[in-house]
Amino acid sequence: MKRRSVLRLLGVMAVAPLLAGANEAGAGLFASPLTTNRLRPPGAVDEERFAGTCIRCGRCVESCPYRCIRLLDIRHGVHAGTPLIAVERIPCYLCMKCVEVCPTGALARVRQADTRMGVARINRFTCAAWAGVALCRTCYDICPFKGRAIVLDQLLPVVVAEVCTGCGLCTHACPVTVEEGARAINIEPPAAGGTSS
Amino acid sequence: MTGGARPAPAVERGKRSWTLWRRLLLTAAFLLLIVNPLVNYHLGITFVQGWYQSLGIGELRITSPLEGLESLLVTRQVAVPTLIGMLVPLAVALLLGRVFCSWVCPISLLAELVAVVRRAVTRRKAVRDRLVLARRLLWFTLIAELLLSLVLGAPLFVFLSPPGLVGREIMMFVFFGTLATEGVLVLLVLALELVTRRFYCRSFCPLGALLALVGTVRRLKVRRQAAECIGCGRCDRACPLGLAPSLDESLTAYCWNCGACIDSCDHGALHFYWRTTLNAGRPGAEPGNPL
Repeated sequence: MKRRSVLRLLGVMAVAPLLAGANEAGAGLFASPLTTNRLRPPGAVDEERFAGTCIRCGRCVESCPYRCIRLLDIRHGVHAGTPLIAVERIPCYLCMKCVEVCPTGALARVRQADTRMGVARINRFTCAAWAGVALCRTCYDICPFKGRAIVLDQLLPVVVAEVCTGCGLCTHACPVTVEEGARAINIEPPAAGGTSS
Repeated sequence: MTGGARPAPAVERGKRSWTLWRRLLLTAAFLLLIVNPLVNYHLGITFVQGWYQSLGIGELRITSPLEGLESLLVTRQVAVPTLIGMLVPLAVALLLGRVFCSWVCPISLLAELVAVVRRAVTRRKAVRDRLVLARRLLWFTLIAELLLSLVLGAPLFVFLSPPGLVGREIMMFVFFGTLATEGVLVLLVLALELVTRRFYCRSFCPLGALLALVGTVRRLKVRRQAAECIGCGRCDRACPLGLAPSLDESLTAYCWNCGACIDSCDHGALHFYWRTTLNAGRPGAEPGNPL
């Protein structure tokens, strides 16, 4: 009797999260955490495979000298424990230390220039240079692939999507804060459902 | 568990010290989890990184076998570094059995601490296991965990593993000053410890199940010498997993070679035994007392 009740309690505890996951609210259980300015570290495999490949060992977090990589928690469903970079807080400096320590290949070895964490996109309505507010070229100056990933077209910054690594240095440096976490230049993750302005 | 009031009989047992050594190693393994992030973070020394999901020592990246297996099954892709990283723990399990659980796992240490606190509070030495489930549940857990991971298309133990969570929470606390919500799982596991000793480890740890499965062919086993055994049943009460060494259950796959039964035996009837035909005097086999 007592045993049965304990077993039932255990059963409920095991099934309840699954039922909750079946609900509409639980769609978030599998939803990717990638959105604008929320990116995987360099060399990450396809987002569809990332949650399966990453073993959540956190070594990328420990090895990042800039502390830009953080771990997600259970609120992100099956993506709990996976690494994420919020570039507007601390961008990725492409030191590639995290890639070197990843034991599973979830972060695959990649050259700096071949990294594709996302693509920068300039909001031409809020960008100070494009809006004609100021002669700002902060993103151009800070870009590690200056003159290639961000070029100046008649003093206005333009992103070359084929070259941009998505490191987020430009986002971090951008002086224009549009809203919480968004700047005039933002990084869109590759093939993600991130909202763009 | 050694605390018999009467003086121990003068059988030349020589050692009652397995538990002591085990606790020392458990403590050292736990200290590593605490010291390592601190050293990483404050001193910038990163030679050793990670915890018991993936422990990087220099270029060697030891990977927990179940996490590696999950990743392999879910993605259906073989990552060579993962395979190499799994070799060390698998080799240990192959030779020594499920010793990670009893000698290294942080949950084991925390569970023993819970036992110490409980003993201090209740002032009772004997602990009764209130809820004992079928041992075979362990295998079911392993299968269910892998199946569920495959069905969901995402590995589960990688972010829900209690031993892994201990390491992750400590790291997150040191690095970011925060704790992750899923850490309550550790508390739940420790709370179950009050119901039954090692309740989680006995039946619900898929990693323990995998190590036990590999450890079925282990070399190191606790063996009972029937000639010495008087059938007092002390070992049966000492076993944290609820096995009965007096019935030779220490030879089954479930035994995790913690040595608690050996230490509890007043008659030197139980020994670690190294199964080999070539040399019986290898570590583990007691000198002068192989078999």
